[in-house]
Amino acid sequence: TQRCKMSCCIHYACLGFCFCDIEFHWYYCICVVINMQLLCMFGCLTASCLKSSKPNTIVLSGLSGSGKTVLFYQLRDGSSHQGTVTSMTHNNATFVLHSELERKGKIKPVHVIDVPGHARLKSKLDEVLPQAAGVVFVVDALDFLSSMQASAEYLYDILTKATVVKKRIPVLIFCNKTDKVTAHSKEFIKKQLEKEVNKLRESRNAISSADISDEVQLGLPGEAFNFSQCQNKVIVDEGAGLTGDVSAVEQFIREYVKP
Amino acid sequence: MLEELLIFTRGGLILWSSCRALAGGAALLKGSPIDALIRSCLLEERSGDAGFTKDAYALKWTFNNDLGLVFVAVYQRMLHLLYVDDLLAAVRRDFSQIYNPKRVSYDDLFTETFRQLHLEAEARAEAMKKSRQQPANPSSGGAARGPAGKKLGPNGRPGGGAGGKKNSGSGKDDSDGGDSGKEQNGGFTANGGSVAKGGQENGAVKDTSRAARAVVVDNDGKENGDPNDGAFDVNTLRRKTGGKKGGGGGGGKKNDVKKPAKTEPKKVVKQMRVWDDKPPKNEKLDFTDPADERGEEVIEKVLTNQGDSMMDKDEDLSSDSEDEEEEEEENAGAGQKKKGWFSSMFKSIAGNNVLEKSDLQPALKALKDRLMTKNVAEEIAEKLCESVAASLEGKKLGSFTRISSTVQTAMEEALLRILTPRRSIDILRDVQAAKERGKPYVVVFVGVNGVGKSTNLAKVAYWLLQHNLSVMMAACDTFRSGAVEQLRTHARRLQIPIFEKGYEKDPAVVAKEAIQEATRNKSDVVLVDTAGRMQDNEPLMRALSKLINLNKPDLVLFVGEALVGNDAVDQLNKFNQKLADLSTVPTARLIDGILLTKFDTIDDKVGAALSMVYISGSPVMFVGCGQSYTDLKKLNVKSIVKTLLK
Repeated sequence: TQRCKMSCCIHYACLGFCFCDIEFHWYYCICVVINMQLLCMFGCLTASCLKSSKPNTIVLSGLSGSGKTVLFYQLRDGSSHQGTVTSMTHNNATFVLHSELERKGKIKPVHVIDVPGHARLKSKLDEVLPQAAGVVFVVDALDFLSSMQASAEYLYDILTKATVVKKRIPVLIFCNKTDKVTAHSKEFIKKQLEKEVNKLRESRNAISSADISDEVQLGLPGEAFNFSQCQNKVIVDEGAGLTGDVSAVEQFIREYVKP
Repeated sequence: MLEELLIFTRGGLILWSSCRALAGGAALLKGSPIDALIRSCLLEERSGDAGFTKDAYALKWTFNNDLGLVFVAVYQRMLHLLYVDDLLAAVRRDFSQIYNPKRVSYDDLFTETFRQLHLEAEARAEAMKKSRQQPANPSSGGAARGPAGKKLGPNGRPGGGAGGKKNSGSGKDDSDGGDSGKEQNGGFTANGGSVAKGGQENGAVKDTSRAARAVVVDNDGKENGDPNDGAFDVNTLRRKTGGKKGGGGGGGKKNDVKKPAKTEPKKVVKQMRVWDDKPPKNEKLDFTDPADERGEEVIEKVLTNQGDSMMDKDEDLSSDSEDEEEEEEENAGAGQKKKGWFSSMFKSIAGNNVLEKSDLQPALKALKDRLMTKNVAEEIAEKLCESVAASLEGKKLGSFTRISSTVQTAMEEALLRILTPRRSIDILRDVQAAKERGKPYVVVFVGVNGVGKSTNLAKVAYWLLQHNLSVMMAACDTFRSGAVEQLRTHARRLQIPIFEKGYEKDPAVVAKEAIQEATRNKSDVVLVDTAGRMQDNEPLMRALSKLINLNKPDLVLFVGEALVGNDAVDQLNKFNQKLADLSTVPTARLIDGILLTKFDTIDDKVGAALSMVYISGSPVMFVGCGQSYTDLKKLNVKSIVKTLLK
């Protein structure tokens, strides 16, 4: 609608300008106006064709408190500054990864969006997913067991979204906070998540005859769920946001966001 | 003494923290009050409130909506700091001038300024206090009670004392009559006694009972005098303040009533409830058939499959809009570059409007009226509008956007946020989890009279049956004539077992035995039906809370009808409060979910859903939209928001 508004204004402005002229130039003005408009539209189309329609955004998602905002600032600035609180809106920025700043040569900036994890703000995720080239799902490895069900549900929601499946958006499950001694290992987290998603799959599949608009069936029926059964690639890795150990995420970004 | 002043962005990054900058160390706050503030207040659209309290801390905040910054001041709740608002405004002003989106560290720039501002604010407050103490002292006491909000004065008097003052006045006048009335009543509690005995005129009785309630019931005093306190904090509710509102008269009344209440447990026989002044009849009006078989022969109507419950049908009105959105997003990138040049060109024409509160008022008033015509409770609409105003003030208007459309968008987002559930409402999943533990999943239906508990219980049972779960009903409505038969009929039609013990039994015990039976039968779900009760009825609420404490259900479902108006707020508030007060464990079980009934009777006046969700914070799990078994569906948040703002 913004676009329509702008184009209307352009039309009126051009018409306004041409009315100022003497009547003799009437037809001349109209031709000019029409040509200008055609040129503009043409320009638009070519611009949109030339612009790579491939999405290039990395979306950081996960439960509230898993460490997404810290990760975001680590990627951007190399430190999480003075700490963070629960995010109320998303953090959206295009930047060159901090670790790549020293690299010589042409470095392509990446566009990262950190979506708040609070349950009430979930609609934000739906807005940004269509532009995503990769999704990083941050899991709190320290406090995993108490939030296991909720993380699995969130992960299930992401993996069954139509856009994710159709575009085969790769997902990195990043186990955060592994710098603490009592954090769980990534293998444990992977297994637990697979089990929980399996349970979810069964309870959601029980809704047999209904046609759920946006959800896609996960995995193979009759077999226990496994991340390798997903059509998009799902990787599990670990690191720690606070200490700066985010190489897994950077690797994922470099691999899947083609310049 | 200010504990901490925190400045952070809406996206979550802390920009400046006073205790880190000044005290130079992690003199951290206990618990994380800031996160609690964000989760239970700001994200719940209560940002229009005056303050927030958590544990021992009180918090105040202000926004700079233009730059997306939040300023929060934390201080000890016991202290009554007058300068905090002042300080917050000054800090906001100064920090906004030095703010730079690229910068993340403001220690060097801002610490000195803050120190100065703090000293100035304290000095100003001292001066004001001194000038106020000159006139007579009682007025200062009044002034301390005057300001709204949850700040407690040093006496522990709640801030909503203005309303309480009026109550106490009338309470004192009637207290003599009330006291004598109480002494006559002997073994009844305040409410029950004054209503039942009716030794005085009804009018006088009602006044005393109301005033008595305001004074006597412990935390009720605080909540009654302060109905605008939306941030309902379980800890505050459970804190039994010695609510000294009516002064001496109140204290005396409390003592009077507490003693009779203690003698109540000695009563063994439950007396029939008497609703008016007539002497109680002793004839038994229970015409239930003692033999069950006779009933079965007569009604052998088994339910044939009526089709899928509407819970499983998804309303697919979102598919069209999604396509539009995708297209727009693709072209938005190309359009934006052009827009940049033109918008700068037109900005001179459109003007650079910064939203002021006075600008927002007419638009917000119109929105509030519109919400109220859609049957949203008045105080909820008011609070929502305040919250939206707080989040829009100071924002720069985009070009070509009118104020009303900005306000509309903000309100839409706020409504979407409130109605989106805070936790997952997948009951089937929870039932599976309970199944694995080997215990039945217990659901208790509570609500006021006549909202449709028994009918909707049957609908939920039908839906669960369709998902191949074994359901059992428990008839714990032992008061209303015909309630047990009603459930029996449903059970027969659905072919599920029902646990009943007839009438005039203690519902808590019946429920307990029902759950034991279900564990023996290996039923997956137990649906417990309770009697309808008014939220003001003390003995009934006590009985309900006993049922919940004894049986520890997995889900407490509040059944509310969509036709209810402003009373929804009162109902939910009182139910939650009573459940919290009378709970025997530290973490009280409150209402977990809402079942909205009679949804088909309202055309587009869907506001009751919003009122209920806002006031209780629990999600709407089911919506009853008809009177047959299949008429049960999920709440479609987007369509409700659209209807509310149409």
